[in-house]
Amino acid sequence: MQPDAHETGANTEAVLEVAVLVSVGRHPLTGRARRADQDARGVELAKSLDRAHVTLLHAGEFDAESESAMRGYLGMGLPALTLVEQPHGADVVPALARALSDAQPQLVIAGGRAEQGEGSGLLPYLLAERLGWPLVSGLADVEKVEHGVATLLQALPRGQRRRLQVRLPAIVTVDAAASAARQSAFGPARRGEIEVEPAAVAWDEAQEEWSVSPARKRPKRLKIVKATSARERFKAAAAKAEGGGGQVLTDVTPEQGAEAIFKLLKEEGILR
Amino acid sequence: MLDTLLPILIFSALALAVIGAVRRVRLWRQGRPSRVPILQGLAAMPRRYLVDLHHVVARDKVMSNTHVATAGGFVAAAVLMILVHGLGLANPVLGGLLLLASSAMFVGSLFVARRRRNPPARLSKGPWMRLPKSLMAFALSVFLITLPTVGILPEGTGSWLLAVALAAVLAWGLGEMFFGMTWGGPMKHAFAGALHLAFHRRPERFSSKQGGGRSTGLKALDLDDPKAPLGVETPSDFTWNQLLGFDACVQCGRCEAACPAFAAGQPLNPKKLIQDMVVGMTGGSDARYAGSPYPGKPIGEHVGEPHGPIVARRGTALVDAETLWSCTTCRACVEECPMMIEHVDAIVDMRRFLTLEHGDTPGKGAEVLDNLIATDNPGGFDPGSRMHWAADLNLPLMRDVGQAEVLLWLGDGVFDMRNQRTLRALVKVLRAASVDFAVLGVEERDSGDVARRLGDEATFQSLARRNITTLAQYRFQRIVTCDPHSFHVLKNEYGVLGGDYAVSHHSTYIAELYESGRLHFAPWKGGRVTYHDPCYLGRYNGEFEAPRNVLKALGIEVAEMARSGFRSRCCGGGGGAPITDIPGKRRIPDMRMNDVSETGAELVAVGCPQCTAMLEGVVDASAEVRDIAELVADALVPESESRRDGVRQVQPTAEARIAVKEVAS
Amino acid sequence: MSEILRRDPRREWIARNRLHPEHLNVLAELGGSVGQGTVATEWMGPNGVMRKNPHAVGFIGPNGIKRIDRSGAQQAAAAGRGAGQASAATDDRRRVAIEAPAFLVAVVPDMPGGRLSSHDRDLLGLARQLADADDQRPGAVLAVVFGHHKEGAFDEAGVDRLMHFDDALFDGYAPEARLAALAAVEGELAPSHWLLPDSKLGGADLGRRLAARLQERPATGVWQIEPDATAPLGWRCTGRGAAGTTDIQRALPRIVLALPECAEPVAETRHGAQPLALSQPLPRLLARIEDLGQVAVDPAGVALAEAEFILSAGNGVKDWEGFHHAAKVLGATEGASRVAVDDGFMPRDRQVGATGTWVTARVYVAVGVSGAIQHLQGIQSCEKVVAVNLDPGCDMIKRADLAVIGDSASILAALVEMVERQRGEKRDAA
Repeated sequence: MQPDAHETGANTEAVLEVAVLVSVGRHPLTGRARRADQDARGVELAKSLDRAHVTLLHAGEFDAESESAMRGYLGMGLPALTLVEQPHGADVVPALARALSDAQPQLVIAGGRAEQGEGSGLLPYLLAERLGWPLVSGLADVEKVEHGVATLLQALPRGQRRRLQVRLPAIVTVDAAASAARQSAFGPARRGEIEVEPAAVAWDEAQEEWSVSPARKRPKRLKIVKATSARERFKAAAAKAEGGGGQVLTDVTPEQGAEAIFKLLKEEGILR
Repeated sequence: MLDTLLPILIFSALALAVIGAVRRVRLWRQGRPSRVPILQGLAAMPRRYLVDLHHVVARDKVMSNTHVATAGGFVAAAVLMILVHGLGLANPVLGGLLLLASSAMFVGSLFVARRRRNPPARLSKGPWMRLPKSLMAFALSVFLITLPTVGILPEGTGSWLLAVALAAVLAWGLGEMFFGMTWGGPMKHAFAGALHLAFHRRPERFSSKQGGGRSTGLKALDLDDPKAPLGVETPSDFTWNQLLGFDACVQCGRCEAACPAFAAGQPLNPKKLIQDMVVGMTGGSDARYAGSPYPGKPIGEHVGEPHGPIVARRGTALVDAETLWSCTTCRACVEECPMMIEHVDAIVDMRRFLTLEHGDTPGKGAEVLDNLIATDNPGGFDPGSRMHWAADLNLPLMRDVGQAEVLLWLGDGVFDMRNQRTLRALVKVLRAASVDFAVLGVEERDSGDVARRLGDEATFQSLARRNITTLAQYRFQRIVTCDPHSFHVLKNEYGVLGGDYAVSHHSTYIAELYESGRLHFAPWKGGRVTYHDPCYLGRYNGEFEAPRNVLKALGIEVAEMARSGFRSRCCGGGGGAPITDIPGKRRIPDMRMNDVSETGAELVAVGCPQCTAMLEGVVDASAEVRDIAELVADALVPESESRRDGVRQVQPTAEARIAVKEVAS
Repeated sequence: MSEILRRDPRREWIARNRLHPEHLNVLAELGGSVGQGTVATEWMGPNGVMRKNPHAVGFIGPNGIKRIDRSGAQQAAAAGRGAGQASAATDDRRRVAIEAPAFLVAVVPDMPGGRLSSHDRDLLGLARQLADADDQRPGAVLAVVFGHHKEGAFDEAGVDRLMHFDDALFDGYAPEARLAALAAVEGELAPSHWLLPDSKLGGADLGRRLAARLQERPATGVWQIEPDATAPLGWRCTGRGAAGTTDIQRALPRIVLALPECAEPVAETRHGAQPLALSQPLPRLLARIEDLGQVAVDPAGVALAEAEFILSAGNGVKDWEGFHHAAKVLGATEGASRVAVDDGFMPRDRQVGATGTWVTARVYVAVGVSGAIQHLQGIQSCEKVVAVNLDPGCDMIKRADLAVIGDSASILAALVEMVERQRGEKRDAA
């Protein structure tokens, strides 16, 4: 850090207040509590901002599982985290909205969706609607923040990016396209403080009526053959099943080989 | 005139030496406290020096004899000189002894001088180049001033001028030997080295009259105390006896010559690292260091201070992080060090701080540690799929049988298709010998080796504690594993956490099975074979013989590599080095495979999944890589057949038969 | 080409005369398969009658016995002739017109590139399930489309009513403007269902905004719906929760964000796709989010683990410039085997395999990669693997779905040329 740059910067622009909403993640294979991948990327994004004062906010139960996950975020080098205590099965949106409107951050960063519970990814939208702030989803990076306007890079498919400008205060969400979270270190994780704040509870009644089961494997869609003639029907029925060993082209000219590859790439639809 | 001058010279040199010693001790005392039995250590010091240290030094016969003559001559001459010239005990007998001692020292210093004429690259230059002259000055001047004392020359021989010249030369000698010893000259090694031996942080390393000692397990961090520092950030975070150990370095460069990372052009030189720690302890820059630098890193750019960081978060401080992460923890430097300095401990201490406080494990380190935390294996595989490789083997699970003679520790190789072949072979061997064994199956976790070497003590202890809890549920006589890393950790590093087990490497166990007549082999029909000693089996645990015995039993005559046994060169796979992946000019496994091809072997036998992976990763290798278990499994013949064919000449001994019976019943 | 059949009696005569020296050539020409090197089996005779040459049918099997393949695989080349006729075949899809719908099912397709995506079509299929459930009370599917589009087949996809907001306002990333339009649709038409594709930056974003605005709790990640009389809307749905690790079954809410393949696309009916417009103009609003346009990104910079198309280089690659060029032209992310990385040709973060990055690409092209076991482990989850290698015995060939044995440099060069030529044609056509 250059101290002089810091000083001159401090004169012209105030410190940017950033709040990151973090949740308890769940490892996809073992189901162990951890820092959620997308939320951790959000914290990483916040830490990469210049002159930002980052606060972490979580709403949920305070137990061993959530503590280990929260320490995962603290281990990224943050001194403290605010935990708005909410029982299991509560609707955390009102409590979070109140906490945010009290804290008045200029930028709120959240992960795209949670790794457990409903995981609908709706929370940032509900907060944005409630607070009346604009929301930008699928962020890859924040380029700069100047005069209350943030310049953002939004991730498009296949690694493409789109530049956006949004007026602050705003809520942004990040997903797997944002840069990966730094390592969570044991020392800062152990030292970091979790400030537990009580809050009013609103129950989420609808969830009780749902039935939740481990995800079933979805059937793969079969290729639909609309046959108009007997021969085509026969062809479709007699077609070699997929994955029955690869095709090997030996003694072909480079052009023929390239043609075969080209055909496969076209079929897969990845050439544009 | 000399009679008055000499005591003044001697005692002022001694006084200066004492002042220097106090200063030096205060430098060491900057380190953290460490409980050391002071008196016991001092009492043990002569034996440690004469037996253990000499054992290492004696690997180079010429230097060993040189050192005996020079150091022995000096110590004797110094004591006698204080008596004869300092206290004026002009006894002819003492004088004669003094003449003898100083001439022995002079002869020794001649050899030192010869060595310094064309010194090998590993030796430091700088002040070390003047040492033979200083030694000679001391020896010669003491010899000359003693001549009148003994009466060979009459008192008052020579002129005033000669006496002054002699006194000046003696002052130079005394200055180097006494003043320099405690104020930081080359002779510092004698003072610091002696105390280092006395207060060594691993007293178990030294042999006792009962037998040789060995202490290779890393020391645990206290994680329960939130105030206890997590690793080493500044030189003063080392314990005082570690700092003392660094100060004992003679810069002989044997570590440098043995270091695989240095040879591969990675930015690590163990000697420079230890010298940097000394620079950090005293404060200053490394510009005065006169040995080989870290490959690719010029000297003079790094500065440190006792309470300043060793590794800067950005920019440079005393040492760059990649230097620390280049180490494969192969312990070749520690094995070679005549001063018994613990380089690996220091490196891991510093890595601990980088990982636990900075969260800055390079390469894929962070990912591997996250995987270890979330899935208990470094690859991030589903822990439930741990036994998928053995779906057809019907391995007995500890959970079902509760007890077994042998607990087969599989290691994380279960997720690696190559290592699965080794494991299958080992299972086949155990079944052929009708061993009563069982595996933990999905209850097994990574042993924590990689986490610990990457500095993540917290994850190591978490894994170790859970493994110990699991192991405590079952009864077994010993653990057998084909992974020397798990072997080392289970055997040497679980103890302080409450897990004491009898652990054997599979080569040891197979050797025992063969000796007790439970395995029978067809004679070897292949070509030349060499054997690669895994660091964690050989240097860490002293098991050099069993794998060779197994190969011998297979009818293989091992064509030894130039660097084998305790001098074996690392494959490059230890200490998380493939994970942190610090770039160098060459690859360590390529160099090792060159060693293999120099023996003309068509096959290299190994006993470690890491070594297998690293050596098999060498492109266009001249030799095939096979685990000992695979070789044994291929050579297995049923007992009846072996008898008929007369393959096995040696019949099981009576003892072994009893052992077989015991197992059978 | 003209449709009039022209006859050449001399050639017909040669075709009949098996002893004529030109017989085979003429047969081949008549068969229309000149250049394929095969003999025609069928051709139009002089009187418009099909003639067959039974000797040319079939092929010699591995045992030296003639085999005839009736599946038509052998005649695939010849079958191309009839393609023109097939496309002209009458469209026998049922026309459906819903004049007075009992309710509306609103669908907001993503329309990437201005056309209905397969995800959009699946969603329209789902919408049809909802609309057509009750014969007595047929609903209509309303598609709400933003910006310019090139889609001409809304009717075939199952759209009854089409509301098109064609304004530059909606171009690019304009979630606020689109949301305002949807809110206006809700206010005027009050569809009984809102269906949006749960696709990143498309319906997923807009649908959640709509749900928050309408204060309706949506079902997200829906992949199945079933009728359920007890539910308020008569349907039950199953959707993914907790980052795809659970299935949540619940009553179908008004707003549904559905995954691809949530239903079969419409195939057998054609619908009206009648244009529909709002009676009121949309209110102007101040955009708080401004789209500054797309930023050029180098495909080489895409993280290996996320790339969907990887061109990977191994020890066998000698022409590195050609390789990099090929990756650029194909738009592929570059990968490498350990050896290529060790030898310094590729950076370490490009290493694929158990010791490098585990990749999940849909298509993985391994050039000169022999297929060490660690490498094969790293590409386990790739769907299609293409291998280009000189050694037909290497392990990568065994793993590959398509393997080409030959010199990688010339094959890549040919492929690059082919792709560039095709792009050129497309540009000319457009």
